[in-house]
Amino acid sequence: MTTLKYILRDMWRLVVHHWVLGLLTLITAGVMLWILGVTTLFSLNLENLLSRLESELVVQAYLVKDNTLNVDAIAERIQGLEYVYSMKIFSPSDSLAKLQEKMGSQSRALEMLGDNPIPYNFEIHVHKAEDVEPLVSALKAMPEVEDVVYAGMVVRRISALSRISSRIALVMFILSVIITALVVYNTIHISLYSRREEIGIMYLVGATRSYIATPFVLEGTLLALFGAIIAAAGIIGAYFPGVSLLQANLPFLRTSLITEKSIIWRFCGLLAGFGATLGWVCSYLVVARFINSITRPE
Amino acid sequence: MNINFSGVSKIFEPDIAALVDININIEQGEFVYVVGQTGSGKSTLLRLITRELLPSRGLVAVGGYDLRKMRKADIPYYRRDVGLVAQDFKLIPSLTVYENIAFVMEAMSVPRKIVAERTKDVINQVGLWRRRSMRPAQLSGGEQQRVAIARALANSPSLFIADEPTGNLDFHTAVDVMKILFGINQAGVTVVMSTHNQNIVNASRQRVIELDNGRLIRDEKGGTYSG
Repeated sequence: MTTLKYILRDMWRLVVHHWVLGLLTLITAGVMLWILGVTTLFSLNLENLLSRLESELVVQAYLVKDNTLNVDAIAERIQGLEYVYSMKIFSPSDSLAKLQEKMGSQSRALEMLGDNPIPYNFEIHVHKAEDVEPLVSALKAMPEVEDVVYAGMVVRRISALSRISSRIALVMFILSVIITALVVYNTIHISLYSRREEIGIMYLVGATRSYIATPFVLEGTLLALFGAIIAAAGIIGAYFPGVSLLQANLPFLRTSLITEKSIIWRFCGLLAGFGATLGWVCSYLVVARFINSITRPE
Repeated sequence: MNINFSGVSKIFEPDIAALVDININIEQGEFVYVVGQTGSGKSTLLRLITRELLPSRGLVAVGGYDLRKMRKADIPYYRRDVGLVAQDFKLIPSLTVYENIAFVMEAMSVPRKIVAERTKDVINQVGLWRRRSMRPAQLSGGEQQRVAIARALANSPSLFIADEPTGNLDFHTAVDVMKILFGINQAGVTVVMSTHNQNIVNASRQRVIELDNGRLIRDEKGGTYSG
């Protein structure tokens, strides 16, 4: 307990004596973590939008017109395909009724066709846009399936967009993490370098390496944590007005953006935790390396 | 704490021989002057004792322990038993006199109350209580030297190493510092002090170890030094 008190006091001394450097770390870490948070939120919203579009993709499979077909067995086979998320079966009469309803006053034209021409058909939803093409191939390979209807170009575009956006988001996330880590690492390194003489003296008069290192590690963790808190406040301050503005100008985004406050608060909590962890890891690495080099006997 | 140098050489890269084949044995409670010209190897010898340096050849043993074999984690614990006064004082510039001295005990997790009592005690011993809130840069050379001595005394060490402790001081201040060192030695602490000040060596007639170009040229009890 006594040691902890001394260490905390020493950490406070470090912060106070070198407040300019500390402030610089705080601001830089805050800005980088804000960029990291905004990038991640952008990716999450894009993912949300694409998921919604993907969930609306439908593949319609029409069976051959044959009264001897075992529709339930075919439905079971299709349901067993790995790409299928959900499926609805429509009988010829259900399909005709649906069509009549859709055509409204022009539905009388259907009576001219005589017998109902629509066969049994399935409305199939997939997990992801990229599942559509293999599903269509699998359906076309079934002799009982006469025709498969789907929006081929849209599927290909959504699928490509989804792949590209995931990659861009990953690259941006990794870049932001690396830059934030480098900034914290370098600032703590400068801070240590400016105190290398003090560190050498402390070791010479009997302080253990952990006693010397802990205040520096705590300082780095604390600065990164406060930087993350500032970044989280900046995100909360900018996100909700930004979302309102987008939804007002682009109505199709109204249901596709993340607007639940609890999710954003949880996200900011995670960002703060991530910032503190990043600060701890970077400080620990730089302090361990620096103290090791400065305390090595010649 | 006794000190033993056996066949010790220290060569700095690429090939500067700071010490060559040194054999010395210093017993517990002795007062030893290490003398010689600038560059003779005095500081290197003392830095081998504090384990700031490792010998290139030979054995340095303090209190029976081979310093080369000492584990990294044990070095701070060893140094707590060695009071060190360096020529350049080695005080932490951002801390006050009080904080500099208290630090060595705080690093050992000594409770705050004991730290306060002991710090006050050693600051009074060197006569600097009124200057306890000042930082090293606000003190004279002699006062900084006394702070360094007080810090070295704080842990009641068994061995006291002083590297040119009077080198930057005027005669009267140097005499004051020497009085403190003799007091420490009278309490049974081994004192090893490097100097090139012949007045100080000749005034007290202690054991004298003389180095020249890294070689031991004289080891004499009750010796003098002519510079």
